[in-house]
Amino acid sequence: MLQIKDLKVAFGEAEVLRGIDLDLDAGDSLSVVGESGAGKTTLGLCIMGLATGRVSGEVRFKGKDLLKISEEDFRRMRGREIAMVFQNVEDALDPVQRIQDQIAEAIHIHNNATATDVELRAKKLLLSVGLNGDKARAYPHQLSGGERQRVLISMALANDPDVLILDEPTASLDALTKADILKLFRSAIAGRISLVITHDLSLAAGLTEQMAVLYAGRIVEVGRTDELLSDPRHPYTRGLIRSYPGMTMTKDLQGIPGRMDHCLEGCPFHKRCTQRIEICRIKVPQLRKIDGRLIACHRGGIVPLLEIRHLHKSFDSCFALCDINLTLYEGETLALVGESGSGKSTLSRVIMGLYDQDRGDIILEGQEVGKRDAAFFSRVQMIFQNPKESVSHRMNVLDAVLEPLNVQKKGDREERLIRAKEVLDCVELPFSDDFLDRYPHQLSGGEVQRVAIARALALGPKLLIADEPTSALDPSVQAKILKLLMDLQEEMGLAMLFVTHDIALARKVSDRIAVMLKGQIVEMGATNEVLSHPEHSYTRRLVDCAKSYQRDSKEINQRPDRDSNPG
Amino acid sequence: MKREQFGRGSILNYIIALAAIFALNFILPRLMPGDPLHAIYGDEALVAMTPEMERSLIREFALDRSWIDQLQAYLMGLSHFDLGYSYYYKDQVSSVIMGALPWTLLLTGLALVIATALGIILGIESGYRRGELLDRCIVASLMFLSGFPDFFIGILLLLLFGVALGIAPLSGAITPYAGLEGFGYLEDVIGHLALPLSSLVLVQLGGIYLLTRNTIVSLMGESFILTAKAKGCSEFSIKYSHAGRNSLLPVTTATGLRIPHLLTGALFIEIIFSYPGVGSVLNTALNARDYPLIQGILLLITVAVLTANLIVDLLYSRLDPRVRYAH
Ligand code: SF4
Repeated sequence: MLQIKDLKVAFGEAEVLRGIDLDLDAGDSLSVVGESGAGKTTLGLCIMGLATGRVSGEVRFKGKDLLKISEEDFRRMRGREIAMVFQNVEDALDPVQRIQDQIAEAIHIHNNATATDVELRAKKLLLSVGLNGDKARAYPHQLSGGERQRVLISMALANDPDVLILDEPTASLDALTKADILKLFRSAIAGRISLVITHDLSLAAGLTEQMAVLYAGRIVEVGRTDELLSDPRHPYTRGLIRSYPGMTMTKDLQGIPGRMDHCLEGCPFHKRCTQRIEICRIKVPQLRKIDGRLIACHRGGIVPLLEIRHLHKSFDSCFALCDINLTLYEGETLALVGESGSGKSTLSRVIMGLYDQDRGDIILEGQEVGKRDAAFFSRVQMIFQNPKESVSHRMNVLDAVLEPLNVQKKGDREERLIRAKEVLDCVELPFSDDFLDRYPHQLSGGEVQRVAIARALALGPKLLIADEPTSALDPSVQAKILKLLMDLQEEMGLAMLFVTHDIALARKVSDRIAVMLKGQIVEMGATNEVLSHPEHSYTRRLVDCAKSYQRDSKEINQRPDRDSNPG
Repeated sequence: MKREQFGRGSILNYIIALAAIFALNFILPRLMPGDPLHAIYGDEALVAMTPEMERSLIREFALDRSWIDQLQAYLMGLSHFDLGYSYYYKDQVSSVIMGALPWTLLLTGLALVIATALGIILGIESGYRRGELLDRCIVASLMFLSGFPDFFIGILLLLLFGVALGIAPLSGAITPYAGLEGFGYLEDVIGHLALPLSSLVLVQLGGIYLLTRNTIVSLMGESFILTAKAKGCSEFSIKYSHAGRNSLLPVTTATGLRIPHLLTGALFIEIIFSYPGVGSVLNTALNARDYPLIQGILLLITVAVLTANLIVDLLYSRLDPRVRYAH
């Protein structure tokens, strides 16, 4: 019923919307999410015919192109067929008129009714949003934010419109009011075409069935809200979700590198995208249907970096790995958890080529991995529990970092030194002669691990296999190293296979988790889901263990109190 | 209830201010060195005064008695609007003023109403069309006009329409000795009023217009205007019943503040057009050093300004529910 085709809006040189396509039918609810400045509000205003600036394209509603009808015709539709509630409940109501009169006005404009009739209807409307008679004669400043929002909703519903647009409907409300009013929103949008413009992902999840992600004036991903949130496919969508503090998120918050830039050629996100390729700078990716989802990305969304298919490995006819299947996406952390002997370290070693697999395929960026050659090691690197395994005690810091560059003969000595400085910078180590001359035994455990990471990063890998990288470190040092790895991931799109036996740790650092038992993956999925609803009995045991360990330690902490309290 | 408190509070303030002014008027001449009668009437008047007159004045002011009696006499006088005797006009000061006051009220009252109404309408229309040709033309011409001092515009109009074109009378408020009545009289009054009124309106217009326009420009960006548009309100109702009504708040305040300016403007304009209002009387009184008359007029002006401000205050609280129903 509402179709938007190639909608563009520009203010002078700046294009705010750069070609929006949407198609909504009666009963559809769509949330439009994105950073502020992405053009969300402008989209709403365009549908209302209230956008300033140059508008082109098509907004078809019931067969009419709204951009072509006269202002007077449009005015008669506003509020009657298409209604919008604006953000900023503080000043969205006229401060000098009674709210009842303001609602009455909305009815009066589109209906030939007597004054008493209109007043009666206004009162009824206010009642229906939970505001009783004495509020009707109040002025906006006498109402709370939540009440004002109710007034605005009742005003938008006054003429029972077909399309309802809510712009940041909860932005200035506190959490409790928000929860209160959510029900009202739900009943308000039921049965209509509704557009919820928001940056609040939890609101979007609670209200709408569909979600469109807007970035710098273009839609980059559209899909079912729940699917989009649990399994984002566009790099920007994932970045948005990772930076949103939700109660179900277990991984620490990560940002998106860089700033939003309008008016870029090619993919609007390419400056901040960690998986961009040549074409991204030149050509605009079109929205395409991929697995029931619309995605605008030349690479079809976040690319799978490492795929493992039906991998088997046995030592002396004893199964170490049995039919392992997993996919690791760009910029994502997959935690491989399980007790010792479950095969998780074997798996990482097979990937690195330290053992050969018996059967099955290892596919790296779409290509079957054969011999582990220079090209492989420049894309995949590994760090170990004991950093001394990766940093030789006979090398000083500089040599250790330069070694991979020397081996791969990357650039001349100058360039290698520059690169060494860069990666040491990345891991927050100094580049002073004094430090570069030190040998591992002169460094702390955390520092050696940082050197090992710097060394692994030297060739700019896309995949880092981390085998218990912090279990030999103090908790405070461990926290710093994990933070470092997450920052590197945010900046370079590093994918990580994080091998650990510590499920609490996995919970904080991983996007997805794979639980291994006796050489098999018994459960795999989004970390928060697997840990909050473990399906396999083994996973449940692991989770319970981790929980009871915490409970025990709490009891230990409390015991002195109890002892000191006689009787 | 809140509203009443506000009203009472502010009225009390005005009463205090008024009392202070009366007190000053009473005390100052008596603090001057020498004879208070000198201070009140000035040297020149006393020279022309007969001893009997002087005696009756001393009695009237109770100058030979205690200051409490003097105060009582002063207040009694005030309550009868007795502001003293103008030796120049040879009449009571109050009746001199009352003779001139209607003309001034007519002139300033009409000027205030017309300038405010016109300023608001122009301001709304122009603010709504910000940046369009019409807006830019009005801004430019009114900025140009309000750059001139009050009397300059008066002289300009006088020269243009009165002297050069001869379509308007040069001075006065009515044609003397014409013995006009009814409609003819009205026509005559309006004819005489036209030029001074236009000058005064033109001078006042700029300020009100600019303020309204700027208020409208900023109001147009407010969310509630968007809400009104989204309801499907007509352009007229957006301009006048939403943006316009809200712009009245600052405009009312500013108009209150401009009333002294309006009065001084009226003073000059009356003098230029020899309009027989309070301004012309004040001018004569100044030239003749008729102190009681000068004092009486100044007292009147102060009271007028205070009253005007009081009215604006009350009006503002009617217009803005946030003041009326303050939290
Ligand atoms: S891969 Fe290219 S097209 Fe896809 S999001 Fe990144 S920059 Fe845009």
